[in-house]
Amino acid sequence: MICQVKKYFDKLTTDGSAEPSHVAVVARDDEILSTGAEDFVSLATKILKQLNVVALVVAAPPFAFLEVLLQRMPPDSAEIIPLDTETRTFLHDIPVVRAEEFNSEDPSRLIALLGQRKGVLVEGVGIVATGTFTVEMAYINYSSVYHALYVKTLLDFLQQLAPNREELRTLTPLWNQLAANIPDRFSLAEQPLDTPDTILAAIDETGRKTVSLRLVDSFFGNISCRYDNALYISQTGASLDELAGCIDLVTDGNVSTAGITASSELVAHRAVYRQSDALTIVHGHPKLTVTLSLLCEEQGCRIEDCWKDCDRVRLLGGHPLVAGEVGAGGIARKVPPVIGRTGTAIVYGHGVFATGRSDFSDPLRTMIQLENFCRQEYLHRLNACLNSADRDFFATLIAS
Amino acid sequence: MTGWWGRLLAVDLTTGTASIETLPTEFLHAYLGGRGLGVRLFRDYHHLDPFSADIPLIFAVGPLCGTAAPTAARLSVVSRSPLTGTVYDCSAGGRFAWRLKAAGFDALRIVGQSRTPVALKITPQGGELLPAENSWGKSVSATVADFADNGSVAAIGPAGENRVLYANIMMGEGNAVGRGGLGAVMGAKQLKAVMVDGDLRMEVADKPRFDQARRDIMRLFRASPVIFGELGIAEYGTPALVDLMAQRRMAPTENFRKTFFSGSDKYSGPSIRKAYQPKKDGCFGCPIQCKKSTQSGEPLPEYETVSHFGALNRVDDLHAIVRANSLCNQMGMDTISAAVTLAAWGELRGDFLSAQDIGPLLKDIAHRRGDGDALAEGSARLTEAHGQAHLSMSVKGLELPAYDPRGAYGMALAYCTSNRGGCHLRAYPISHEILRKPVATDRFSLAGKARIIKIAEDTNATIDSLVACKFSFFGASLEEYSELLSATTAIDYSPQQLKEIGERIYLTERFYNQNNGFNAADDQLPDRFFEQPGTSGGGIEVPPIDRSRFDEELSKYYRMRGLSDQGVFTDDGFLERQP
Ligand SMILES: [Zn+2]
Repeated sequence: MICQVKKYFDKLTTDGSAEPSHVAVVARDDEILSTGAEDFVSLATKILKQLNVVALVVAAPPFAFLEVLLQRMPPDSAEIIPLDTETRTFLHDIPVVRAEEFNSEDPSRLIALLGQRKGVLVEGVGIVATGTFTVEMAYINYSSVYHALYVKTLLDFLQQLAPNREELRTLTPLWNQLAANIPDRFSLAEQPLDTPDTILAAIDETGRKTVSLRLVDSFFGNISCRYDNALYISQTGASLDELAGCIDLVTDGNVSTAGITASSELVAHRAVYRQSDALTIVHGHPKLTVTLSLLCEEQGCRIEDCWKDCDRVRLLGGHPLVAGEVGAGGIARKVPPVIGRTGTAIVYGHGVFATGRSDFSDPLRTMIQLENFCRQEYLHRLNACLNSADRDFFATLIAS
Repeated sequence: MTGWWGRLLAVDLTTGTASIETLPTEFLHAYLGGRGLGVRLFRDYHHLDPFSADIPLIFAVGPLCGTAAPTAARLSVVSRSPLTGTVYDCSAGGRFAWRLKAAGFDALRIVGQSRTPVALKITPQGGELLPAENSWGKSVSATVADFADNGSVAAIGPAGENRVLYANIMMGEGNAVGRGGLGAVMGAKQLKAVMVDGDLRMEVADKPRFDQARRDIMRLFRASPVIFGELGIAEYGTPALVDLMAQRRMAPTENFRKTFFSGSDKYSGPSIRKAYQPKKDGCFGCPIQCKKSTQSGEPLPEYETVSHFGALNRVDDLHAIVRANSLCNQMGMDTISAAVTLAAWGELRGDFLSAQDIGPLLKDIAHRRGDGDALAEGSARLTEAHGQAHLSMSVKGLELPAYDPRGAYGMALAYCTSNRGGCHLRAYPISHEILRKPVATDRFSLAGKARIIKIAEDTNATIDSLVACKFSFFGASLEEYSELLSATTAIDYSPQQLKEIGERIYLTERFYNQNNGFNAADDQLPDRFFEQPGTSGGGIEVPPIDRSRFDEELSKYYRMRGLSDQGVFTDDGFLERQP
């Protein structure tokens, strides 16, 4: 189990979702196993002893954006409810512990909240997330909370209140990251996708590439490829950078149910293949695409539950954008009819489905270009929210 | 108070009386209902012989029953198992649980022994005994028909009357209170059926909060491929697992001598669909509807049943398997224990039964005729009587279901630590080891499994007390169900508190078992799994389980439970400290 602790510590310190010096991963077998920053380890150990769970991640996200988010919240708000799919489906809400409520010697309030939710935001600490069964689960929950808060913070800048100078300055590393493009020239092995071996290898490689390029966080997404009267698709709950051995063959006509472990989006992938000439599908949750997908400028709309009730097809970066919930919850109905237009479709608050006709390079490139477009578009829109003095200031931050 | 009525119907079959008692609120809050409440109410009786007159047979619903909570129209039946000797509970769905709640009761406690066969009729006013001589000897469906005018029926068949040690109590809609022989306990009381009717409505305390939690759960069900996926259990029922277990090479075959059966595609989910064009069916008010039945309404077999009447007995005849299932249902007999006992019998004789011979022998078991009499005792007693105890594929006398422990090491451990014997549902590691929910674990590794099993046992003890269906947890978690519970009862329960309640229930059961002579020596798998490999192939190696590594993890488990190396409580006063 110590291998698992080390593995997810390494992931957290390299995947960009945490400040490498502010990460601790702690797990409990019959004794406590831990690695990471000392003060975080000691806090996590205290908590773990009082919860009926296997593992805990304590880490501070990068860029100090949580500090900005917390300062913007009313001081008495007890939780945050982001709008993205992760929150809507799995997290429900993210409880907040304020600095004055928090005592690292006696974290009883934090423990009580962790007894209710998968992850908690602690002012001055970062995100604390539990893993009921495995270390991986704690990592996934950390990633979900991080993803949700990232999207929420960025969206709030556009929808609530534009950042002030201090906030702009604090978040300089974030702006610079957004100003840079994800490279859309990359190499994937060039092999025809016509045998099981080449397909399995290509899915594995593509998954790793989406993560190593930092297009997406590893846990969220799925990849498939058509093959004869069947398709290969990544399994439910499989990490994109660890797909080897986690790919199911699902035959048309359901002559076997062995694919019951396939991705929850199997039904959407199948429908896309039925309704288009796609050979490959890549699905992921790039953060800026997700952020902008939530930015609806429809005037006078009466719909309250956008995920379920919005039937409009909007456009983002030239691609159709629809609303729909995970699995049997609507994506499979909403995405296939529109994806043929450009070969790509965006799902409200969720992510992107991109198809390819001959390989995985095309859909991957499309996703990267869309995310790059959304980065630029975001900065552009943010700029438009600033007053002219702040605008100049913002320009100097990005230029530096 | 919402969620509970606080009422128990106490019936004494010896005196023929019934009275209404008030349940202590403290019990309800600390044990919720279902399994937990039943186990608590069993405290003073746990040492009694399962066939003694005084032993109670307890039916308990939970606080979510009668509400719109998904999969919660269930109850648990609790007593001591004549098959295993352990305290025993079994959860079952169907309309009966919902009616019992609607009659204004959280629990029903039946003690005593009638001199002649009787049926118990329950209404909100109380209980009344009706003569049942004319139904004695009848099949389950005939019995249900005899009493259907009195509401929902739970009945025993000939197997329960004849004290087959794995006799079931059958709900009128075909759901079974299965496995541990509680039908025999009911039969020993000469109680042929229980009927219940009522239309009282249980309100929830906070409707908006409840509705929100319900929506969250439905969304998670839809996000779960196992539940609502195109290949999931809502479409194919649990036989959706047949192909998966074959592909994973862990389908118990020929009495667990092998782990792959080439004929399993004959009774896979798609094959059943093709042969029967099944209707979706299921528990009352359940959105999943995983049960499948023929066009005429005959229930079709579950995964465990097709696989064990199939691969385990080397039968690839789907119709014979379906007939065996129907026969067990009509006789009121557990399909898993029956099929494993037949397979043990096959290995004892040196040849497995032919598909045609299974039906007649099942009838003989239910009536304890000829060879059937010895088989009615279950595989452990049967093989023991032949000096071949090692051929019984059971733990604590409970026959193992259709997940070979060599193909899932958490499952191997959980078979041993289960308080009711070799059962897959106590910790249900198949969920993560095979179905990747809520997260995937390495099925060929024991690393970390002791704690996972402990946590899952605690969680599932709570689920059995709510009472919700385990299948819900392929999508949802205690996070959402604790919201439903809090909204229903106006008492704030967190998932962590619920797991603590589950832990209390688990330890209480283990304490009862210990008082009845159980210890670490009973927490053991048959030697076969440590000595013989499974059937490797398709790129998958299925070696025997490493015994020393297994024992090491089991020791860890005991430490995590606060038990000694021998798996016993170091603290005699445990029970007195519990509410
Ligand atoms: Zn997605």
